[in-house]
Amino acid sequence: MGPSLRRHNLNIQAVKMAIKQRKAIIFAISIATAVVLILWKPTVLIYGLQAAGLYAAVAIPMGLVLGIVHIVNLSHGEFMMLASYATYTVCRALGVDPLIALIPAALVTALFGWVVFQLTIRRALKAPELNQLILTFGLAIAFSQIINLIFTSQTYKLSLEYSSMSLDIGDLSFGVWSFVFVAVAVIYAVGLQMFLTKTRTGKAALAVGQNPKGAAIVGIDVYRTYGLVFALAIGLVGAMGALFLTKSAIFPGVGSPFTMKSFSLVAMAGIGNIPGILGASVLLGLAENFLRSFRGTRDWAEIVYFVLIIAVILSRSLKGKKS
Amino acid sequence: MNRTLVRILLILIAVAAVALPAFAGDYPLQVARNIMLYMALAISWDMLLRSGQISFGIAGLFGIGAYAAILGVVRAGMPTWLSIPFAAVFAALVAFLIGFVILRLRAMYFSIVTLALGEIFRIIVHNLHDFTGGPEGVVMQQGVMFGGNASKLYWLVLAGLLVAIAASYWFEKSRIHFALTAIRNNEISAKSSGVDIFRWLLLAFVVTSAIQGMLGGIFVMSYGFAAPDVVFSADFTLLPLAMALLGGVYSTRGPIFGAILLGLVAEWLKLKIPYGHLVVYGIMIIIVILFMPQGLKNLLKPAAKRAEGRSA
Amino acid sequence: MKRMMLVLAVLVLFAGSAFAQGTTKLEGTIKLGGIWTLADITGKQGSAAAQLAVDEINAAGGVLGKKLELIVVDDEGKADKAAAAVEKLATVDKVDVFVGGMASGAELGKIPAFKKYGKVVMSTGAAGSATVEKALGPSPESDFYFHLHPWDYNQGASYAEGWDAIQKKYPQIQIKKIFLAYEEGAFGKSSWDATKVLFGSDKRYTIDGASFKSALLGGGDYTAVLEAAKAFKPDLFIWAGYDADALPMLEQAKAMKFSPGIYLGAPPGWPIGFGSSKLARNVMLYGMWSPAINDINPVSAKFYKNYIAKYREEPATYFAPLAYSAVYIVAEGIKAAGTTETGPLVKALEQTKYVSPLGEVITFKPSNIIKHQGITRQKILQWQNGIQEVIWPFETATAEPVYPFPAWK
Repeated sequence: MGPSLRRHNLNIQAVKMAIKQRKAIIFAISIATAVVLILWKPTVLIYGLQAAGLYAAVAIPMGLVLGIVHIVNLSHGEFMMLASYATYTVCRALGVDPLIALIPAALVTALFGWVVFQLTIRRALKAPELNQLILTFGLAIAFSQIINLIFTSQTYKLSLEYSSMSLDIGDLSFGVWSFVFVAVAVIYAVGLQMFLTKTRTGKAALAVGQNPKGAAIVGIDVYRTYGLVFALAIGLVGAMGALFLTKSAIFPGVGSPFTMKSFSLVAMAGIGNIPGILGASVLLGLAENFLRSFRGTRDWAEIVYFVLIIAVILSRSLKGKKS
Repeated sequence: MNRTLVRILLILIAVAAVALPAFAGDYPLQVARNIMLYMALAISWDMLLRSGQISFGIAGLFGIGAYAAILGVVRAGMPTWLSIPFAAVFAALVAFLIGFVILRLRAMYFSIVTLALGEIFRIIVHNLHDFTGGPEGVVMQQGVMFGGNASKLYWLVLAGLLVAIAASYWFEKSRIHFALTAIRNNEISAKSSGVDIFRWLLLAFVVTSAIQGMLGGIFVMSYGFAAPDVVFSADFTLLPLAMALLGGVYSTRGPIFGAILLGLVAEWLKLKIPYGHLVVYGIMIIIVILFMPQGLKNLLKPAAKRAEGRSA
Repeated sequence: MKRMMLVLAVLVLFAGSAFAQGTTKLEGTIKLGGIWTLADITGKQGSAAAQLAVDEINAAGGVLGKKLELIVVDDEGKADKAAAAVEKLATVDKVDVFVGGMASGAELGKIPAFKKYGKVVMSTGAAGSATVEKALGPSPESDFYFHLHPWDYNQGASYAEGWDAIQKKYPQIQIKKIFLAYEEGAFGKSSWDATKVLFGSDKRYTIDGASFKSALLGGGDYTAVLEAAKAFKPDLFIWAGYDADALPMLEQAKAMKFSPGIYLGAPPGWPIGFGSSKLARNVMLYGMWSPAINDINPVSAKFYKNYIAKYREEPATYFAPLAYSAVYIVAEGIKAAGTTETGPLVKALEQTKYVSPLGEVITFKPSNIIKHQGITRQKILQWQNGIQEVIWPFETATAEPVYPFPAWK
């Protein structure tokens, strides 16, 4: 008993050491990459980070739902699209800026998400898990087609001064507004981490996510927690919908590509690893923009996105097998 | 259940399916072709699902088969009839090679990797302009197979569907069934009871991919062209998936019912509500899945069996 | 067992009711079968404009003493659905002539069925010559097909012609270097191919280009392509994408302080309210029609007025006047031929001289492969004070060009 326990402890320490070492290595590589890019291709760093911010800010709420409610929400991007249209309508009618509508948009979409959860997803949670996939697929079609009926497929865009805000450093002029997505992504990741580890509700949600039956035994209302987490995630997506409107034109299909992108990022980070989504996004954003900056590799930039996703998932799974 | 009656009924349906061109016009035949193509894809997706592996790569393999067939004809002068088995073999080969690596993954990691591979195939085809025709696609100069004869094209797709159904029954009735079900239910105990998990998964993946590739070949031969955004369309992944799930998974008849339902409803709605039929389509998927969580195939089970199925 | 029978019976009845019964059949009408992608604004407004033309023609007494009837089926932009739409219109509704079309992918699905029936097709879309024109094949087997929309190479040639003419007339406009930012799909790629050939062949221009993923297809990041363009320092910057790209790309260009002498977009339609944006000032565009043509063309003015009266919305894409023209051309052809039989109707349509709302007289001439190509010229326009003014061709011009494109302040 004694020696084996000690060996176990040693093992844990060795693993911890290994993890620390790995973290240090990753950190060093990141710094080195950043320095090289600043000197050699500053635009890759700038635009890569901006792209990463947008990817991550949309993907993090999906990571939350996947990690705790355990459903792949194929209507994830459509919720963002709905929030964008709602914000657009309100902004046009009242003449307000979408940034002012940010918080109300988040609250309204959160409420809407909660209602959708109660009416549909909640009922499908007891059914075979694949049903949730197809249910949310149906929601995605219904949402985007209803918007198509009301607004047609024509695109809408708010014209805002600050969207083309610019900064000059030497000869280099670049847009800075998109950095707002980086800020949001970081706020989402840090905020959610604090929520899940520091607050009572958050801890309960984490417990439900890890072991719903156990959580039910200790008196946590599992379905209520699922509903809250889903509504929270949809609220975060809703805020992104309002923010997205400052950068992009909107049309009925604008959300759906984000669903698959987010799903890929969450898978790349590993389920339940919300900060990992940030890392995955930065990796993909930089890699994509790096290839785009050369004439010869320009057309292949998109492929690296998918190759990296596969490579990361495979290497993690193989490592998991070894240990 | 009277087994002979069922058999007679099945034979009648089969005869009716083969003889349909004798009494149906070109429009129902065209609709039947569309439905049968998706039906066969749905069956092939379900076959792999029986092992617990959820593939999002149907469109990728369908597209590979489509391009293998049309490039075989256009670039290598292959006869059109040969291009369809060639598409199947080519997709099987690709599946065999990638299967070695990706079949070690489980759950959503497998799903996302199959999806990513499909995208990679699409981008490769998209970027090899001189060989594949690039984003604009490639056209068969000699036109479609059988000179566009509606009956023959219908039988071609029917043949593809029968291959899928036969393979599915083979999966259901042979040892493969026990192996795949064991893997799905409990991989560890399956392993300990001597099931060579990897070998069975690879077999299932290669066979289903071959079917999907063959269907891609049939598609391009009956329309005479291929373009990346057409043959790699996400529809070829999502619709078969929806059909199988609505019909009821882990069976052959589930996807069949699901495909008939969704296919007919989609066409019918399109004619009745030209503007906005897709809204109704989406809402219908939601309602069916909420009120028939086991899928349509359950409607056909006798009441006693259904109760049993519900408690399970 | 009984259940199974019941379900089967219901399905069969359902199928029967859906496919045996056609639409309401009016006796003694001339039927036009319209196929568009109805969920898309081009198809929605194209089909609406075609119906408007049918109503106008019927109000004026119809054709050969009969009323026209337009039956519209959605192709959902998909090849297989498009093929089913042709079959339904041909065999169930028994239409006399087909109109419609937009995306090349859906058009390719229709062509085998079109060929089978050989009825006259008045096509409003599909610019991809590498696929659609090739699939149609040469005369006489493709003679039934009347292609109104210009092919990609027609468009390229007309722009080359247009810029030559503009530089001659306005010596202050000098173009040496052209950069094309093209969306990576079939539309953008064919624009790039045509541009390379038609502008790059005689060495008068230096051409460069780079692709981007359109926001419409899940992209929307223009930083890399604009960086490449900025480094090239073009006199004429062209982007070939979709309406979703219009404003975000301008905003990005401004943020990067990229201001070419001419900034030109070539999307099939523009976003709502584009003209009211400050950034839109003096942006140039390629197109076929704009409401500004109303001032110089009475057919356009009539179309515009009636369209708004009927649908209470502005025609937002040129597919509306194009589909409207398609119906008028078919109606006049049938009048001249005295029948809807393919042979005489094709002969009659070959004599078409239709004064269209697009500001030109439409006739049919051979193109590279097919025999019946309608419009070959596009227009060069400019956003001035929120209106798309025609700059070239000069005979339909509504304004003088403003040059250069304002440098960002």
